[in-house]
Amino acid sequence: MSGVLCLTACDRLPESYAPPEQRHPVAGVNPGPDAMMVDMSDPDASLHIVKDIYGQADPSWRWTAQNPTVQLLVLATENLKFSADFGIWDDGFKTTGPVEIAYLVNGRVLDKVRYPTPGVKHFEKPVPADWLSVDADTMIGMSVDKLYVAPRDGVKFGVILLRMGFKQ
Amino acid sequence: MIRVVPILFGALFTAATAWSLGMLLFRRLALVFHAWEERLLAYIVGSACLSGIMFVLCATRLARRGPLLFLGLAIIGYAVYSGALRSSGKRFPPLPKLWLWVFVAAFAAFSYLGFFNALAPEHSTDGMGYHLGEVLKYRQAHGFVRITTDIYASLSQGIELLYLFAFDFGRHSAASVLHFTFLVALAFLILSYGQRIGRDAVGVGAALFTFASPIVLLDASIAYLDVALAAVVFALFYLLQVWDENRDPKMLIPIGLLAGFAYEVKYTAFVAVPYAIGFVAWKLWRQQKPVLRPALVVSILAAACILPWMVKDWIEVANPVSPLANSVFPNPYVHISFEKTWRADLARYDLASRWQIPLQVTVQGDHVEGFLGPLFLLTPLALLALRFREGRQLLLAAAIFVCTYFSNIGTRFLIPVVPFVALALALAVYNIRWLLITLVVAHAITCWPRIYNLYCAPGAYRIDEVPVRAALGRIPEDVYLSQDPQYAVARMLEATVPVNEPIFAVSQGGQAYLPRNLLIGYQSASNEVLQDILWTPVVRAYQPTRIFRFDFAPRELRKLRVVQMASLPENQWSIAELRVFSGPMEITRDAAWRLTARPNPWDVQLAFDNSPVTRWRTWQPAAPGMYMEVDFGQLRSVSGVVVESSDDSGDIKMKLEGMGADGKWATLTDRPVQSRQPIRASLRLAATAELKARGIHYVLIKPDNPGGNDYRRYPAVWGLTVAGSMGDARLFHIK
Repeated sequence: MSGVLCLTACDRLPESYAPPEQRHPVAGVNPGPDAMMVDMSDPDASLHIVKDIYGQADPSWRWTAQNPTVQLLVLATENLKFSADFGIWDDGFKTTGPVEIAYLVNGRVLDKVRYPTPGVKHFEKPVPADWLSVDADTMIGMSVDKLYVAPRDGVKFGVILLRMGFKQ
Repeated sequence: MIRVVPILFGALFTAATAWSLGMLLFRRLALVFHAWEERLLAYIVGSACLSGIMFVLCATRLARRGPLLFLGLAIIGYAVYSGALRSSGKRFPPLPKLWLWVFVAAFAAFSYLGFFNALAPEHSTDGMGYHLGEVLKYRQAHGFVRITTDIYASLSQGIELLYLFAFDFGRHSAASVLHFTFLVALAFLILSYGQRIGRDAVGVGAALFTFASPIVLLDASIAYLDVALAAVVFALFYLLQVWDENRDPKMLIPIGLLAGFAYEVKYTAFVAVPYAIGFVAWKLWRQQKPVLRPALVVSILAAACILPWMVKDWIEVANPVSPLANSVFPNPYVHISFEKTWRADLARYDLASRWQIPLQVTVQGDHVEGFLGPLFLLTPLALLALRFREGRQLLLAAAIFVCTYFSNIGTRFLIPVVPFVALALALAVYNIRWLLITLVVAHAITCWPRIYNLYCAPGAYRIDEVPVRAALGRIPEDVYLSQDPQYAVARMLEATVPVNEPIFAVSQGGQAYLPRNLLIGYQSASNEVLQDILWTPVVRAYQPTRIFRFDFAPRELRKLRVVQMASLPENQWSIAELRVFSGPMEITRDAAWRLTARPNPWDVQLAFDNSPVTRWRTWQPAAPGMYMEVDFGQLRSVSGVVVESSDDSGDIKMKLEGMGADGKWATLTDRPVQSRQPIRASLRLAATAELKARGIHYVLIKPDNPGGNDYRRYPAVWGLTVAGSMGDARLFHIK
């Protein structure tokens, strides 16, 4: 038995190798301009919603509460812009008056914008590359300072969200 | 009922073949036993013989139904024809009526529990995972196949080969019913031992202590092997006791066979060999009789059983005791780090302290996969049996076979010791007859499912029901098994993945129902590398973000090596890429270069493939002297080297050595400049492309897998499409 054990102790597998076939860096998928955008019309949008975005009332938009937040994956960290399309409801605006919205990336405030009028709005601003990481989800969100409170049931509404995410 | 026929045929045909072989051997050796003990011992010894025959058939790829049927019929037929099945031994005196009825009643009740569970479709974790998973592979190949991606295929498989015999006729449940026959044999063997030592009540009590124990009954009713091992070990003990009485040298043949067979059944039972040799040698030495020849007989026969398994492992995975001892037998199939972690896990499970073990293994059972029953809290009382010679023998055997328990503290690893403890306990209280019968009755009551459900932990592994309808086929097997998520996922995989396409999964069982090559993350070195590749995009510490740059005055070098100098017990050293420079330009890697590393030379190419998701790792703690070497094959002008590493390498210290025209190694620099290389683009597609390049097109992901949600949320970014799903499990196809 000991003889067999000794024999097996002898290396018989190759221990030096030539360099292998060289991999070429995979440029990454090119999933299109909306790959880093969470669109409320997307049936999988719920997978990205973290908080304060209500269930779908319309195929293309959703009501938010105070801090609508989504998580998504950035494919590259450089030259990205935070982008959001949303609406401020006319009737609600009559109650709240001008609103201020803070835009957040991983909890850090990217910008604050005061909106003195209701209607469709668009926000876009570059994000510093070192705020982002490609190996984990990035949380992006808005923080609305004043909410419309429905008189009938007391539910609070922020904005009408169409899409939020990053653009290159 | 039609379902039952092939199952019972498979199990009983295998048992009858083994028994006939044992009886033929005993007749040939003219061994003298009492009638019942002869039949029981013949079954166990014959199982060892049949397992050996199966090994030969598997090695020659002759394990087919036809040859097995012919073999079994020939053995049984010859045994009948030669009269070998007629026992010539004396009968034991009949049991006292009280003990007879106690035994019959309890045996019948617990047989009902065990038998119908064994007959029901097999869905135990390890049974339908690897015990029968390997059997299925062998059945498909009609013998052994070289498996380098599954550590369990390298374990000794003495009982699995018997399962293979039964499986060919009755499939999965035939294996579990066959295992149950070992429990029946064990119970009667314990009873016989009690009668042999003239204490019927001890035999009855200990047989029931063993038979009714919840973990023993559960284990025997599934395609595990612990109860079979207990039967082998107890039969070995029994034969040694008989040999000690009659000193028949021919008795050493079955003793040697069983000592070796114990190793064949399970590595942890290797202690059977020194026990048997030591017992024989000690007894003879005390009487000043020749020791060498009898000890050699036992050793040679044990070795004849053990060596084929060692040689098989040596040929297949370059380690005769794989998946253990990888430090002694380094090989590319099992990582040293895996073995260390695996052994640590098995020695600890999730217990906070080893002081929890006594209650866990006797009454709670949720952390150690089962419980023996509260009776075994009285195990210390068994020490009172030391006043008897038989008690000392029993406790010696218990002490020897329990010594490997702490390598795996699962309750079932105590099963081989249970018969010895049960007998010693019964012997200890034998003189107080009312106490013994009280213990037997109390044990039977506390081991009944309705009762133990009142005291065991809710998550304890136990028999919960008697699935008579499923056992008899009144519930279709697929319907019954589909309640098990592992089985349901296995069926989904079979329905979705083409034959010959491997599937990678971090975790998944049910291989016994899945005729596909399932690569489980932890189960081999190559699988761990696949897992490392898949995790790199989502685990920052694995990514090649640390840069070590070695610059020096241009030198003409034939070889260079990066040597690691720190001792880091908690970290592995890894190199994602090693790049060589001449001035500002990287020297193009040449096919004439020869690359090597210590340790783990087999993965060295991963540091030279230009992929950010592959890396060479030591797969063991970083230690001084480990190195990676490049041989240019000629003198090259070199002025710098860049090593790309990762944060999980910890506080590594490296130096660069070079060999010039003089053939001597010299340190070029030991002060690399460190910097960080941020990962600016997702590595996900590179990871799946790497898997695809290795022939893996399917990946099974479950929510609790690392990064599990990432795959589900961003399949397009990984280059994946959903090919199938079952519950929370998703099968992805790599585009």
